[in-house]
Amino acid sequence: MNNPQTARLNRWLVISGFGFFALLMFTAPGVVKMVVLSALLAYIFDPLVTAIELRGLGRTASTCIFFLFVTSACWILFLLVSPLVMAQLEALRTGVSTEQTAGFILRLQAVVRKNFAFLGLGNVDLAERIQEIGISASGKIIDFIVEEGPTLVVYAVAVPFMIFFLLKDGREIKKALISVVPNKYFEFSLDLAYKMDVQLGNYLRSQFLDAVTFGVLSTIALWILGVKYFLVIGLFAGLANLIPYVGPVAGALPAIAVCLFDTGDITKVFQVVLAFVALKLLDDSVIQPTLVAKGVNLHPLLVLLAIIIGGEMFGILGMILAVPATGFVKVVFQESLVTLKKYGFRED
Amino acid sequence: MMNATITTLMHFGKRDKKPRFRDTLRSIPIFADLTRRELAAIERILHKREYEPGERIFHQDDPGLGMYIIESGRIGIETDDAPDNVGDLGDGEFFGELPLLDGGPRSATAMAKTPCRIYGFFQPDLFSLIERNPHLGVKIVLSLASIISSRLRAANERVEEMRRLLEASKKPAPPVRKKRTSRR
Repeated sequence: MNNPQTARLNRWLVISGFGFFALLMFTAPGVVKMVVLSALLAYIFDPLVTAIELRGLGRTASTCIFFLFVTSACWILFLLVSPLVMAQLEALRTGVSTEQTAGFILRLQAVVRKNFAFLGLGNVDLAERIQEIGISASGKIIDFIVEEGPTLVVYAVAVPFMIFFLLKDGREIKKALISVVPNKYFEFSLDLAYKMDVQLGNYLRSQFLDAVTFGVLSTIALWILGVKYFLVIGLFAGLANLIPYVGPVAGALPAIAVCLFDTGDITKVFQVVLAFVALKLLDDSVIQPTLVAKGVNLHPLLVLLAIIIGGEMFGILGMILAVPATGFVKVVFQESLVTLKKYGFRED
Repeated sequence: MMNATITTLMHFGKRDKKPRFRDTLRSIPIFADLTRRELAAIERILHKREYEPGERIFHQDDPGLGMYIIESGRIGIETDDAPDNVGDLGDGEFFGELPLLDGGPRSATAMAKTPCRIYGFFQPDLFSLIERNPHLGVKIVLSLASIISSRLRAANERVEEMRRLLEASKKPAPPVRKKRTSRR
């Protein structure tokens, strides 16, 4: 490595690698999104493959068994749950205009006309407005399915494919990346990579477990309360819980909307709000302290900025991935500083 | 280094057969009792590095991460107290094995004296190996413990010998009899 030409070439290799990644981020954000998503999921599932490896199997065989198991589980779940989900989605699309809903809308219209006439809402036709919004929303959903359908298919094929190879060859990929590091920084980089691996793995896995737990609990709560489409809303609430601050509210809103439009019963709305508040308290005081790694505490402002930037760059998936990505950057900085202090590079 | 990097990136995932290096590995006491399959598993977690003459591998007091096995070349070991080279190591020899167990700081500086190709075996990889293949992990840890205990025994014997020498040097010399001079 003392050879200056080799060192320069190596530096250029690393810089061009970063440059290529940055270029990809702006020209093909979809690919970056896919790679990041696959890498995160591979990170989350890695201990499961290692657990299979513990039975004396090779990495490839363990990854194959894991995939076989996951694929079968997903297929069974799909067969069991999809008719219910599809039925709930279909009902969600068509069944909002029941008599009770119409009654509720009329009452709401009277209140608005009476109290907000000074805002020019004296003759507002709420039923018509809601219908307009409904038509525009369903149009948007259909547009989204038509436009994003092929992309979703690509995701459904490419993401599992990437996860498989990341799980199977993850160690070799890490080794190959470390081999590019100059000798002077080799042990430092290796030390840093191992520490980040532990911290980041714990963080991502705990976030994933937290989201799953919250999703399951909200589904159960909504089912007990007799809220329609509890499965779809519960799943959404679990996923939304990955986004701090905004997530829990975003998860509760569909449930409230369904209660309002389905029954028009304010008591039920209060019950749903109370259930979500209780679940969030349970999440904050019991689930998160038990599951979520304590190492990555992000400042609320930083989280909010990350969510906005993630949303701007990659949409909803960007918002979900923004927090783990910020956690990753924070772990990199934290561990780099600690490890740098330990090594204190000298001039040779 | 550049060539090595490109080769690693191009051939990653492919198992390269290096019977000569496997023999080198078997000659190292830590890996002496391993089967061919176990040696192959060890080989997969080693990090290959190449150094130019005068290039430092690690410095005394740096945090220790693991040991190195020399495939080819000569490595000089020196300490801050004895900068004029404590010893030289060559093909098939290994150094820096203590941090594999305790992760403690390096007790000496290692420097390449000729172009060297060495393989690093590090503590986190050993821990990960113990996690997924406890049988092999325990075998290695036991070998390491055995090497260290024999070194400790040798060090104890040396201390005992030095203590004996010190005591011997402290003993008052037997009084020298003076010849009586007869008075006349």
